[in-house]
Amino acid sequence: MNLDFLTPYGFWNPILWLLVIFVALLVAYLIWLRGNSRYKKGTEQTKPFLSGYAPESKEAMMVSASNIYWGFTSTLKGYYNFLRKMHTGDIRDYLGWYVGIVAIMLILYILWGGA
Amino acid sequence: MLTGAFEVIWYIAASFLISLFAIPFGLLTKGIDRKLAAHMQWRVGPPVWQPFWDVKKLFQKETIVPEDAISWLYNAAPILCLASTVTILLYIPLGPFPPILEGHGDVILILYLLTIPSLAMVAGGFASSSPFASVGAQREMVLMMSYEFPLAATVIALVWKISSLYPQEAAFSLTAFARHPIWNIMGPFGIVGAIVLLIVLLLVTTGEITKVPFDIAEAETEIAEGVFVEYSGRNLGLFYLADAVKTVVMSALIVAIFFPYNLSPLLTPNISIPSWGWAIVDFLFFLLKLEIVIFFCMTFIRVSVARFRVDQVVKVYWGYLTLASLLALILIALDVML
Repeated sequence: MNLDFLTPYGFWNPILWLLVIFVALLVAYLIWLRGNSRYKKGTEQTKPFLSGYAPESKEAMMVSASNIYWGFTSTLKGYYNFLRKMHTGDIRDYLGWYVGIVAIMLILYILWGGA
Repeated sequence: MLTGAFEVIWYIAASFLISLFAIPFGLLTKGIDRKLAAHMQWRVGPPVWQPFWDVKKLFQKETIVPEDAISWLYNAAPILCLASTVTILLYIPLGPFPPILEGHGDVILILYLLTIPSLAMVAGGFASSSPFASVGAQREMVLMMSYEFPLAATVIALVWKISSLYPQEAAFSLTAFARHPIWNIMGPFGIVGAIVLLIVLLLVTTGEITKVPFDIAEAETEIAEGVFVEYSGRNLGLFYLADAVKTVVMSALIVAIFFPYNLSPLLTPNISIPSWGWAIVDFLFFLLKLEIVIFFCMTFIRVSVARFRVDQVVKVYWGYLTLASLLALILIALDVML
């Protein structure tokens, strides 16, 4: 039985991928088992490395969700500001965009699409 | 054609065999990279076998799990990272040998599979419960989002050309690239476009393997190895192995797309050796090509420039390299139309 997923251009077989990733996980696990598993629980060595900074609460030490894409959003600030302006919260604006885009797509479809 | 149970046994055996090839070769590649980088900086450098001793040492050291870490995820991340990296090699041709999973996965699948090792690093970083690791994991995500577009644009531009000339081919298959090397099918515009795409892919590779100037997720001097700050012993050893294998994977992908040539067709009329001998010659030639690609996308770049800031990395990938890949796409489109 052929279990490959086919499109007009691409193809892949998820069952075979699951098989090989399972074998690879086994190989990696066997290598991992060869290592030293010991350490001194509950001592200074299990404290997170803070490079001399004073310890803070767990929440304060993590990157907050709003900053998770920082770097990306800050570089593309112009693009995100443009998008933010479009999100007015007014349903009439959203409906206007929806109707406008559908109209453009219909025109494109009539001009170039179909048979 | 392999069938049934024999086919399954072959794939299981091949997964073991590919690990036996990729891990030692990846470590040797790291050793060669360090040696060459040292020579370029007028240093003697460590012996090429040093990465093997580094891994041996890491496996003998304690494997510390931080007290606030999510231990199962913290320990699973390096295992998943290595395993997912090794499996990608099963979809890529290795010199004279076609991909082991030929016909069962295309180049789009490879692009998706390449995200799994990075996601494993992100998961491990966040599971560490360390501020430096969290920042490193956040940066790794930003890096991953940044190089995806130029990487996809590169592949799609080349596939477009192949599919326009050979509509009957499965254009996204890497064996199609081997059958129709892009330098043989491009016109003048296409050649220029392909050179631009090669440069883009070399720079994407530097980001994929998180090396200078795109090593923002580790950045020793800023965030003390970032994602790996809490990792030690065998866990760090597995990440080290995964990094070595990923270097092989990315260079093998570049060779498969841009340089799928073998020596045997050129030399067969003049030299007579058995076919298995040619297979060895072609495989050694493939390894040489890998080393040359690694030299340009890793060694040469990392000794030449300093690390970019996070926003600069995004600007390079989403700005300059995306524009370059779209320009190359236009050149290839002109090549198809003219």
